[in-house]
Amino acid sequence: MIFSKYLFFILSFIAIYAALKVLISKKPMHSVLYLTLTFFAIGGHYILLNAQFLAVVHIIVYAGAIMVLFIYTVMLLNLNIQGEFPKSRLAKFASAIAGGILLFTLIAVFRSYDLKVLADPSLNQIGLVKNLGKILFQDYYLPFELSSILFLAAMVGAVMLGKKDIY
Amino acid sequence: MFEYIWLVPLFPLIGFLVIFFNFRRLKGVTAGVLASIMVFIPFVISLFFFFGLMNGAEAKTVELFSWISFNKLSIPFSFLIDRLSGLMLLIVTGVGFLIHVYSIGYMKEDAGFNRFFSYMNLFVFFMLLLVLGSNYLILFIGWEGVGLCSYLLIGFWFKNQEFNNAAKKAFIMNRIGDLGFLLALFMLIHQFGTLNFAEIFSKSSAIPVGTFSITMITLLLFAGAVGKSAQIPLFTWLPDAMAGPTPVSALIHAATMVTAGVYMVARSNLLFVLAPVTLMTISVIGIATALMAGSIALFQNDIKKILAYSTVSQLGLMFVALGSGAFTGAMFHLTTHAFFKALLFLAAGSVIHALHGEQDIRKMGGLKDRIPVTFWLFIIGSLAISGIPPFAGFFSKDMILIGAFHSGYVLWVLSVAAALMTAFYMFRLLFIVFWGKAAVAADPKHPVHESPKSMTIPMSVLAVLSIIGGFIGVPALLGGSDRIQVFLAPLFSSSEAFLKHGAEVSESSEILLMTIPLLLILGVIFLAWSFYVKNRNIEQEEPERSFLGNLLYRKFYVDELYDTIVQKPVAGLSTFFHDTIEVKVIDRFVNQTGNLVVWIGKNIRYMQTGNVGAYLFFMVISIILILVLNLFK
Amino acid sequence: MKAIIALSILAVLNMFFGVRKMKKVLLPLIFIGLIITMILNISDWGKSVHYFNEMFIADNFSIAFSSVLILIGILIFMFANIYYKGVERPLEDIYALILFAIIGGIVMASFGNLILFFVGLETLSISFYVLAGSKKFDIASNEAAMKYFLTGSFATGFLLFGIALVYGVSGSFNLEAINTYILGCNGNVPMIFIAGMLLIFIGMSFKIAAVPFHFWSPDVYTGSPTLITAFMTTAGKVASIAAFYRLITIAFISLHSELTTTLTVIAVLTIIVGNLSAVYQDNLKRMFAYSGVAQSGYLLMALIVLGPKSAGILLFFVLSYVIATITAFAVLMLIREERGTFFIPAFRGLAKNNPVEAFAMAIAMMSLAGIPPLAGFMAKYNLFVLTAEGGYTWLVVVAVIGSMISIYFYFKPILASYFSEGEPQHKIESSVNFKINILVLSILMILLGFLPQVIINLL
Repeated sequence: MIFSKYLFFILSFIAIYAALKVLISKKPMHSVLYLTLTFFAIGGHYILLNAQFLAVVHIIVYAGAIMVLFIYTVMLLNLNIQGEFPKSRLAKFASAIAGGILLFTLIAVFRSYDLKVLADPSLNQIGLVKNLGKILFQDYYLPFELSSILFLAAMVGAVMLGKKDIY
Repeated sequence: MFEYIWLVPLFPLIGFLVIFFNFRRLKGVTAGVLASIMVFIPFVISLFFFFGLMNGAEAKTVELFSWISFNKLSIPFSFLIDRLSGLMLLIVTGVGFLIHVYSIGYMKEDAGFNRFFSYMNLFVFFMLLLVLGSNYLILFIGWEGVGLCSYLLIGFWFKNQEFNNAAKKAFIMNRIGDLGFLLALFMLIHQFGTLNFAEIFSKSSAIPVGTFSITMITLLLFAGAVGKSAQIPLFTWLPDAMAGPTPVSALIHAATMVTAGVYMVARSNLLFVLAPVTLMTISVIGIATALMAGSIALFQNDIKKILAYSTVSQLGLMFVALGSGAFTGAMFHLTTHAFFKALLFLAAGSVIHALHGEQDIRKMGGLKDRIPVTFWLFIIGSLAISGIPPFAGFFSKDMILIGAFHSGYVLWVLSVAAALMTAFYMFRLLFIVFWGKAAVAADPKHPVHESPKSMTIPMSVLAVLSIIGGFIGVPALLGGSDRIQVFLAPLFSSSEAFLKHGAEVSESSEILLMTIPLLLILGVIFLAWSFYVKNRNIEQEEPERSFLGNLLYRKFYVDELYDTIVQKPVAGLSTFFHDTIEVKVIDRFVNQTGNLVVWIGKNIRYMQTGNVGAYLFFMVISIILILVLNLFK
Repeated sequence: MKAIIALSILAVLNMFFGVRKMKKVLLPLIFIGLIITMILNISDWGKSVHYFNEMFIADNFSIAFSSVLILIGILIFMFANIYYKGVERPLEDIYALILFAIIGGIVMASFGNLILFFVGLETLSISFYVLAGSKKFDIASNEAAMKYFLTGSFATGFLLFGIALVYGVSGSFNLEAINTYILGCNGNVPMIFIAGMLLIFIGMSFKIAAVPFHFWSPDVYTGSPTLITAFMTTAGKVASIAAFYRLITIAFISLHSELTTTLTVIAVLTIIVGNLSAVYQDNLKRMFAYSGVAQSGYLLMALIVLGPKSAGILLFFVLSYVIATITAFAVLMLIREERGTFFIPAFRGLAKNNPVEAFAMAIAMMSLAGIPPLAGFMAKYNLFVLTAEGGYTWLVVVAVIGSMISIYFYFKPILASYFSEGEPQHKIESSVNFKINILVLSILMILLGFLPQVIINLL
């Protein structure tokens, strides 16, 4: 129990640190690699919540497929050489302050609510393949099926944008 | 028979649609004839209705269909036919028909002949909606519709930028008034929960005199009337609106549309009598407008501008009548004014037509033998507007003056002054244009010619009306029965109770009130005659003479004396009103409001930088603001 | 539900025929399909069917708004062949994306569950992102797609976060269950829940382009292909406002009084900024983008005062907006096609050579400006009366002033086409079909102005 608590903090630290590095890194390739790290850390969170299936899928899809795609894109476009767009110091400063205030606002909101642990998350059975499948195909059947239309739309769009015609 | 009232606006609408959608196919004068017929049929129907009403038929609301209904609010699309709308129907369709016929001759050579008649029919349609509507909303639709048509017709010759500007000016100034009207509508809904005339007037009787909300409502309604009827401070569009073809000026800017404000106030008389402050305001603005426009008209040189300022001045007098509670007087003057002002405009159009577009009166002169028919018609019109018995203007102006007298001597004196100005500028115009020698040598290629029959016949009909039109309101004093007072009594009698009259005017003082202005008017006409006929005192180059000769020629400088003590100050005042108050103050205020909006629009777009980062930044700031303001109160 | 299934089949069939290069079949197929969809959709009228554990609720409100969305589809496809004149390719992918977006819109009008709401929103948005960039070699179109995508996903992030917070506190995605939760709190709703709700509303404000979340809309609507702009500004607004209304009236109705201040401020800002920004635009497409912002402000007014008639008035407003906007855009497309510009001078003398087009444009613009007795006026009028009855008189005053400002820019093309000086531009050839279409739409706008109760009383 204690162990999983420490693990939670370590994973959270890695996730937040890596996410920050995604933004801060000068080279796109580094950003991509840090993003992979973030995904792994979040995958670890899933395991802590006893959701092995989600964890595996998360790592396979994000860290495996999507990241590879990202890396290929970065390499093919040779973005590493160009570096990032120059941004004025003022813009950076302003966005940091704005983001910071937003963060504090949300923290203040969260502090006001007494977040209770309803049940031991590690004993939660919902993340198991069997239960997930049941929920997905019974309670959330319609959103599940409609997601296929969403993906179809995204695919059609990607193919369309990839073609050479003017329209 | 009133069930068929919907036929009345239907015909002009059909006329508009047919002409508008075929305006390349209709050849020759077809469109004009068609449009005239489409106004003539409603006129005949209106005549039947009118005689029905005269014989005591009850007023009736005809509901066509249910239009807007809310939990509490219900506004049907319905028409109200009563004595007031019956009278207005007759004016709109009758005068409208005559002007349509006149336009066939006047516009014959214009390329936009068909377009012109389609707009004219559309105008008549909206004007009929305005007059017939049984609630404020339909009245408002007609109100906006006639404004639109007026805009289209002022800018009819759209190739001229100045005319376009005049059209825009008219449109914008009217919108300012309309805002007041619209707010009044909302307040009426708030106060009474309805917009139907009948319900509002029955509910208003329970309200005490002088409450704030009624005062606001009536003031806002009056603001609408100020815009539409060209009163101070929104009158400057009307003189500019003379850019449109002359029949338009006659129909819209003299006989019908501009009187819509008067009609609306008269229609709402039961509301207005509940607000003495508003009535006071109406009187003050009315008399100020009458005097200011009248004095400006004294020294104008454009024949149509003079008539335009004269219209503004006469409308001012009508508002004086409304403000002093003489609603019948206002409606009576509205009727007779529709006749003689339409006649004057049409006659002026005939003059312009004869001189091939010349509008400057200094370049006219000596026309009395060359276009005799127009001349005689013009004389009838001038006599009528100046208030010479037995012409129509005498009786209606008399009724207004007596109404003003009830409100106090000051108002009466000022109204008489306005009437004197009317006589002076009308006869100045008449004498300069028709007497004397032709100022410009006749061009053999374009001889001065009398207008065709299609123009003179409608004018003659109007002239007859200008002569006999007054007999519907001959006061009891002169042995008449004052029929218009009796006819409109059902509408205005209940508001009489609210008005505080001074002492009843005795018969002898009434005779005095009638004769004093009349004698003064005759004197003024004589003055005009001596200036412009006897001495032909028109500002043109004068020959040099010896001192004595000069002295004699100038009649010992009496004229100059007059010039210095009367004319110069008045002329100065006139110039001041025109150049300073009208152009610099009022126009500028109106223009600046528009400019402010455009300026903000120009600068607000710099927020749109095109930079996504900036957009996201603004969004985050807004999100923080929304969260903080909502959560940490 | 039936409509979604029918539309999905239609989209797939359309792509099938497109891949087979059967170009001639596509548009007729889509028309037949959309009309069948419309009939299927309306067949559920009055039954109030609930599908899949309250996920999808086909009540009268959702059916009415879905019908408007399908109508938008029909109108857009009506003018598609004009816009894509001379394109050899069957364009099945663009058509399919439009159909997908309509599916997303219908889901947004009918959801009973926040998960489904989000899926619908994303289906709509992703189709829009791609459609905005569908003119691939036009740099403006690329920019539009990119900007839309970046800002859109940013806003979606907040929205999703909001949904997560609401779910985290209330323990349910179901709208009714959320309302039950609020009622169970006895007026002591946790702040975190309100924060979640506000974030959802912020996301929705972004979608309908309300100030201060409107920045994307002028750039995106100007850069996108015109037909797509017409589609996005109408369909996006209808679907989002329907979803917004469902959220407020079902899930958060008990907290409505706490929201009105925020909504009022946003509505006022939207009306003022939208109208004022449009004043200076000579580019009509951009002007439409800003005026669309202003119209969103009016739409928000319907959410502030909730009465028995507000759904009907919202429907009527949306319908009149859709018809007027698509008519105006149809004429705009034609003019752009011939004259190569969206600027006002392109309209010079239109009335002389193309009276039908000029007339339709004038009616559409006047309806949008709210000139009686057209549909737009009745819509605004009813809305204003509703708001005034709710006690928000000063909001009505702002809205009226906004409408008066709007007359200035809505009348620019009318003035140019009817009263401009100088040589008129040459005549534009247009098919009889096109003329009939826009005439029918114009007549519809006039008719709706006289019979608003027919629509308003539906709901």
